[in-house]
Amino acid sequence: MASRPVLGRRPFLAGLLACGLSAARAETKRFRIALANLDETPGVTLEGLGFTGSEVRSSFQLAARTLSVDMSYYDNAGDPARAIANAETAIAAKVDLLIEYNADARANDEIARRLAAAAIPAIALVDPLPGAPLYGPDNRAAGRIAGRALGAFARETWPDEQVRGVLIGDLADPGPAVSDRVHGITEGVQESLPSLKLASLDTGGQSMRADALLTRFLQTQRGERLLIATLDDLAAVYAKNAIEMNRRQTDCVIVSQGLDPNIHGGVSEKKEIDPNNRSSVVLGSVAYYVDRYGYDVLPLALRLLSGETLPPRTVTRHKLVTATNVFREYPPYDMN
Amino acid sequence: MRITGLAAFIGVSVVSLLLQSAPASAETDCKALVQPSPFGPDDQIGATNRVTPAVTKAAAAEIQTGVVTPMANELVDGVPLFGTRFSKTILTSFATLPGAEFGNNKLSYMEDTYLSQSHVGTHIDGIGHIGVQDCYYNQTPMGKYVTQNYLKKFGIENIKTFATRGVIIDAVRVFQAAGKLKANPACKNPCLDAGTLITEADLQAGLKMYNVTLREADAVFINTGWGDLFRQWPAQNATYNKGEPGISESAAQWLASEKVVAVGADTWAVEVVPGEREDIAFPVHKTLITDNGIHIIENARTDLIADAAAKSSRATFFLSMTVPKAVGLTGTFVNIEAIQ
Repeated sequence: MASRPVLGRRPFLAGLLACGLSAARAETKRFRIALANLDETPGVTLEGLGFTGSEVRSSFQLAARTLSVDMSYYDNAGDPARAIANAETAIAAKVDLLIEYNADARANDEIARRLAAAAIPAIALVDPLPGAPLYGPDNRAAGRIAGRALGAFARETWPDEQVRGVLIGDLADPGPAVSDRVHGITEGVQESLPSLKLASLDTGGQSMRADALLTRFLQTQRGERLLIATLDDLAAVYAKNAIEMNRRQTDCVIVSQGLDPNIHGGVSEKKEIDPNNRSSVVLGSVAYYVDRYGYDVLPLALRLLSGETLPPRTVTRHKLVTATNVFREYPPYDMN
Repeated sequence: MRITGLAAFIGVSVVSLLLQSAPASAETDCKALVQPSPFGPDDQIGATNRVTPAVTKAAAAEIQTGVVTPMANELVDGVPLFGTRFSKTILTSFATLPGAEFGNNKLSYMEDTYLSQSHVGTHIDGIGHIGVQDCYYNQTPMGKYVTQNYLKKFGIENIKTFATRGVIIDAVRVFQAAGKLKANPACKNPCLDAGTLITEADLQAGLKMYNVTLREADAVFINTGWGDLFRQWPAQNATYNKGEPGISESAAQWLASEKVVAVGADTWAVEVVPGEREDIAFPVHKTLITDNGIHIIENARTDLIADAAAKSSRATFFLSMTVPKAVGLTGTFVNIEAIQ
């Protein structure tokens, strides 16, 4: 009996050794991986947030520097037909793996069929690709983080006062991401304030409209404290402007979604969420790390290529980023 | 009685343990975050301890032709600086107005006032420049050594000397030879692009190119070509500051293991930016300065000595660089010359 664990350890150690050797072999082999990016058209932002396609591509380029991969890049340009054509080009180039970032479900069905025929594995980015493990945000969880932060703020700062909630963003967006975020925000804030009502101010995809919409709303809502959840950071910046112009800083707090470069900067490049701006009405923004997708997805791709079975869904880390932790999450490098 | 006595014993023991552990815990924190100095627990000098008379004498043998190659950029209003950094001079003239001269010999004179931050232009980072939280070189909790005006420990007045051998590693030619040079279109001459990692293997290839073996107390300079953008000021200031090619963390560790005294480059941070890990800030600075007391020299001019090395096949030189005895400073602009 006593010797059993020792005997049991031998195959375990042998297995570890084998894993180590195969990992070493995998490190020496360079894999050819293609990213078919959602849309790199200048000015186009992704996922209802302020990130661009070029930031997604850049994250893959930076992450690839330290890995045994040779990358190739395609721009789907938000066009399903082009996405299929790009996948076909990647298949013809005999890449080892395709990372597909394409929102059109029908095109993804076709891409999956062609990849399967060519026996090329894939990882789906944000939107599902049949048969491929998915990497992307957990919109509901991210929304919940914002809602909880607003609820906690109200409980601590305005106990026993009349509080109202406001949602600002592209609320009519038909995609599931926005509705998931709204559900999450509502759930999160109602954990602290179960009877809280949330007004909706729809920007129609024009974040700058948050300023005028909130200005009008503020003029009709006096004597109430407002918990404002914005669905993107640019809307948060415009909403903050409305609050300041109407001198309602003491009545309002904003928590946003995204943590994109509209709202945080560096040591020299000052933005709203900044260690030296702790009295801002923008309490924080929930990070989606879209500009770091490459750092998460390429290691997944290498695991898949080494024969590992990935879970069907891997989610992005989400975190509330405020003035107190923004430089930890995004270390600035505009100093030396 | 026994219970009372035991309780009293435990109480005294706990109090005594707490008293002992209070100061110890601060030290333990810094010991976990920063490596100890190889030069003893009280050392404030850092890697220049290695520049012994024998090292300087050996370095002097590098002077063979007497040719002096500049390795510093001119410090002038308009060169790349980050947002809030500044470097201005004010000229003050005395007795220059007719009739205001001094004496029958009509003496007049002029002076300057520098209004400048120290980490501007071609400059050296002192060992008081970088830490992790409150922990700086030699596992030092720095808070008690900081005043409003200067450091009471690790100021640049403690630097021993840089009278040592300099070595130029031409990363541009290494990358060209390996067929992996990805230049930035803004560079007028070949350069490594921002974000390009220079690994330990690249550094070794650069040394091999000129048959150089690093010696203890060498000062290593790396030519990335990125300094081309510095010299195009102000046109390319934003591009220059946005990122840079540079060494990896493991390359810095290797240089530290070679016991160099300084690492310089024609970039603003010597290390690759954006860094290898998106959530880690300036790991090479921490490795070289905080853990090893090795100075970093930024915005150096390396293209001329790199060209000279290519022509003469000599990548070593006597380093001429002096640092003012400015008490308590974390860094200062410097002039550098390579004498061959």
